[in-house]
Amino acid sequence: MSCNLTVEIAGVSFKNPIFVASGTFGYGLETQELTDSSSLGAVITKSITRHPREGNPPPRIVETPSGMINSIGLANMGVERYIDTVIPRIDEIGTAVITNIAGFSIDDYLYVMEKLEACKAPICGYEINISCPNVEAGRMEFAVDPELTGRLTESLREVTKKLLIIKLSPNVTGIASIALAAEQAGADAVSAINTVFGMSIDTQSRSPYVQTNVGGLSGPAVRPVGIACVYKISRKVNIPIIGIGGITSANDAVEYILAGASVVQVGTANYKNADTARSMIDELELYLAENGIENLSELTGGVIPNE
Amino acid sequence: MVIERASVTANELIAEGIFQMNVSAPKIAGENPSPGQFINISVIDSWFHPLRRPMSIAGREGESLKIIYKIFGAGTRLLSEFPVGSFIDLLGPLGNTFELTEGATPVLVGGGVGLAPILWFDETLRSNGIDHTTIIGARHSGEHFLEHCPKEGFILTTDDGTVGIKGTVLPTIESICLEMENPKLFACGPEPMLKAVKQFAEKETVLCELSVESYMGCATGICQGCAIEHKSSSISEHSYHERFSLVCLDGPIYNAKDIRFP
Repeated sequence: MSCNLTVEIAGVSFKNPIFVASGTFGYGLETQELTDSSSLGAVITKSITRHPREGNPPPRIVETPSGMINSIGLANMGVERYIDTVIPRIDEIGTAVITNIAGFSIDDYLYVMEKLEACKAPICGYEINISCPNVEAGRMEFAVDPELTGRLTESLREVTKKLLIIKLSPNVTGIASIALAAEQAGADAVSAINTVFGMSIDTQSRSPYVQTNVGGLSGPAVRPVGIACVYKISRKVNIPIIGIGGITSANDAVEYILAGASVVQVGTANYKNADTARSMIDELELYLAENGIENLSELTGGVIPNE
Repeated sequence: MVIERASVTANELIAEGIFQMNVSAPKIAGENPSPGQFINISVIDSWFHPLRRPMSIAGREGESLKIIYKIFGAGTRLLSEFPVGSFIDLLGPLGNTFELTEGATPVLVGGGVGLAPILWFDETLRSNGIDHTTIIGARHSGEHFLEHCPKEGFILTTDDGTVGIKGTVLPTIESICLEMENPKLFACGPEPMLKAVKQFAEKETVLCELSVESYMGCATGICQGCAIEHKSSSISEHSYHERFSLVCLDGPIYNAKDIRFP
């Protein structure tokens, strides 16, 4: 039996539901020696900002049980260099590209998106990193407030007809209400979750392992958090959900899909082996065949909750 | 750069807390790694430790690669438990290499397990008949596994004087370099040692390359985790990759005057 792995999000078709997460696959061109990116459903780029950014002082990462804490500080080449150096080579990635955008004001996000729209970048859409402090709102993160999230989404919606995905933070009191705000403001999909606040301290020096003290926890340690968030969001919104957090195998992906995700992104696992996501595609096909599932969409939200 | 499941051909304690592992890694060895380069090791197949451990290559013979490591934490402890005949997942070769400067005599300095790339470089220079001096420092004799052979330009130092010259590597570096016409230092070791070597090199205007250590996420330039402060004259308000350099891609070997330690 052949299984259909293709998925559609707001009219955009992807060859399979295995994407790679922002920040774990560069701009899509760096891993060519280690994997075949053209097999993937989509590549989400590292966050691009209005200006180039050096990022935070080191140390920036530390391993924790089944995870890692990062505090990179959005180091990236900035939108101009991205347009000059990556966009012309985007065909080499061989699959759909979604550009992740970060900013510190609504104008910042708009600037990046407008530049990409103006150059007719051959990307299929945008993922918006809203876990950034908004300098116009007392550095409150866009992600923690439904109104801010809504306003940002609405502004971006006016600029693009391409796929608009809002990437949600788990560090909020009610992730589903933020997701709903994004949906009502015109988002095509939400992705969940970004990293979870995390801290790890060296008990000898008494210093936190990352320079910014608190960083973002990712990896298998956060998988149950991500799955619960996807489940909660799926009860509240109708737009597709992209599941992220600690996925290392097709089985992990299926957990997210059962919880309500239409597609998933593989993140931290790419660091150990950039071929992890690609190798999950065959595994997923096998799971579907073994379970007599012809269309992946049959699985989405298929969890049988306890009464 | 390739990922390879290499077979472990040796993994044993060679000095106090110091292990040597040999692996048969034809693919990585086939890429002709050079002294200074490293491999990134997955210490366990499960995801309990999701990150690899970067380790300098300490030697190469045909398809066989050698690493020398110390047990620092859970990851290196797991590494010490790989039996001969088992397989280990490696990514490599990675990073840049030590560079000789024409007319300058190499002075190699290794401290603690930082001796790994230095030993391989020493071996390479020796087999190419290049005149040089090597200084290896440790706290006491138990941490050394090599012979003190000053006549052959291979000098050991210990903090307590139980073998070789008593003291840190620094006074020995000073006395050797100050006698030479045009020395070039190549050092790898703990950060305080590297800072002291850098300070000496800058004061005496001695050429100096340092091999630095860093936590790494991916070792391929993707995660941007292994940043080190880079001295650059052209840092603008909005720059990228000028103030911070990535140890995995741009390093681990740096011209000492180009980097700044925290």
